[in-house]
Amino acid sequence: MSMTPRQFEARYEPLWVELERGLDALDKGKPGKKARKLKAGEFQTEATPVAGAARIAQLYRQCCEHLALARERAYPVHLVARLETLTARAHQRIYRRHDFGLGSLRDLILYDAPAAVRALRWHLLVVVLVFVLAILVVGVATWFDPHFVLTVVDAKSVRMFDGMYGQEAGEHLGRTSGDDWQMFGFYIMHNVGISFQCFAAGLMLGIGSLVMVGYNGLLFGAIAGFLVTRGDSERFFSFVVTHSAFELTAIVLSGAAGLKLGHAVLAPGRLTRTQALMRAARETSPVVFCFFVMLIIAAAIEAFWSSAGWIAPGVKYGVGACCWALVFAYLGLQGRGHAAFPAGAGGAR
Amino acid sequence: MTLDTTLLAETPEGIAILLRPAGAVPRTLAYALDWFIRFIAFAIVAGVLSSVKGVGVGLMLIVYFGLEWLYPIVFELLPGSATPGKRALGLQVMMDTGLPVTPSAAVTRNLLRVADFMPVAFAFGLLAMLLRRDFKRLGDIVAGTLVVHAEQVRLAGALPQAEPLAPRMPLTRAQQVAILHLAGRARRLTSERVDELAALAETALPPPDYAPGRASPPPIRPGPRLLAVAQWLMGQR
Repeated sequence: MSMTPRQFEARYEPLWVELERGLDALDKGKPGKKARKLKAGEFQTEATPVAGAARIAQLYRQCCEHLALARERAYPVHLVARLETLTARAHQRIYRRHDFGLGSLRDLILYDAPAAVRALRWHLLVVVLVFVLAILVVGVATWFDPHFVLTVVDAKSVRMFDGMYGQEAGEHLGRTSGDDWQMFGFYIMHNVGISFQCFAAGLMLGIGSLVMVGYNGLLFGAIAGFLVTRGDSERFFSFVVTHSAFELTAIVLSGAAGLKLGHAVLAPGRLTRTQALMRAARETSPVVFCFFVMLIIAAAIEAFWSSAGWIAPGVKYGVGACCWALVFAYLGLQGRGHAAFPAGAGGAR
Repeated sequence: MTLDTTLLAETPEGIAILLRPAGAVPRTLAYALDWFIRFIAFAIVAGVLSSVKGVGVGLMLIVYFGLEWLYPIVFELLPGSATPGKRALGLQVMMDTGLPVTPSAAVTRNLLRVADFMPVAFAFGLLAMLLRRDFKRLGDIVAGTLVVHAEQVRLAGALPQAEPLAPRMPLTRAQQVAILHLAGRARRLTSERVDELAALAETALPPPDYAPGRASPPPIRPGPRLLAVAQWLMGQR
């Protein structure tokens, strides 16, 4: 007859207790004694004296065997349940991600984010086309007939924009009141909200993203066209040129990432829809990080630099052009030839 | 099809880990609790900052932004993988493989809360949770995460002590399992109920008047006799 439950428990319980204690110590943040380094050519076996993390890994594997045996031999429930809890705890500990450090952040910024953006190039193209078309159509329409702006924006908002960029605008451009810090907070809230909506709306078969991006294009086109006809073009464009390098890029990126999600739902290829969606989310998560950071940069620039009325428009155009060049160079060129994406960040393919 | 809502996640070691996904009600309560905590935190910060003009309002908006978007992400990446609201209800976020939640998954599931919210009051998220066996909302589906009850339910404990007694006949494995399971739950039941249930196994239990090699006669009631057989099956002789 095989081993009875009592014999089984008596024989292996010391190991379980040791693993439990080790996990408790880890939970309290006190790692055990440092493992002895293996000598050259030595392999770790059951007989190798080890401590700390290596010992826990060893105990975990043994407990997995015990659990499999206990289940197979239909040992009493409390025994199996104890082993289940123990292995689940150790499993969580052992397979925890250890790469929270700066290394992965560096890789994300240097390679993964721009590469993930480039991998989205066709979705980006579609979104950019929708955005630019919306701006152009409404912008030109407003330019020919300033009253057209009222079809997109209500009269109250038009008056507000007029106050922000028009003749009466004070030393701070682009706002009716409030100081730099207040506006920084407001811009973060407002712009991040818009971008997250563009991204999440993509789940609605991608149409949501296109609608959100197109709508924002309409607004921008209408206001730009209206202010140009009023003769406030310099004030307006010198205000937007610098931060728009980050803000418009971020909106387009969020739209493209959302479109990618919608695309995965609509045309999952050889995967199930859920699998395709999860893969798309994995592939676009560096892009999400990218547009999130860009929005914060944009909000800072918009609050502290773009609004400063005392800086000559020429300087702003120059700095703005540099920012646009920087964004394009980063997204277009950074990390080319580095093989980390998609094998590394893209996850399983 | 099983009635319970547990899920099995397989580990590289080839064993299955039992996960208990949390349903819409505890998750809604956890969300309400989190909302309340964030509200209080914001009220305190706003109270302090409202005395500062300009910078104060800006910082207030930044704090609001942080409470809205970063609060769940940060707490779900800390040890325990749960926001204070989830922790209070004993919930935990993990990957549907049973592993701790990864940073990108935590970010994805929390950003997509916007999609779950649509069209009003988390209607899509609630619908997804009600339609699925694993109670995932849209953000969970995309990120591959799962909200589970952190603690396992313990229905069975250690077997009550008893003098061992051999069964009347050799038992099949299924019969042994049934007897051991009932004995494991005996502490949670009244002795009358144990007797009732043990009476169903009367054919497997030794009769009260038959006890070779035993000092005292076996108990008359079927419950204690079943517990004695369970001890024998455990290996006590």
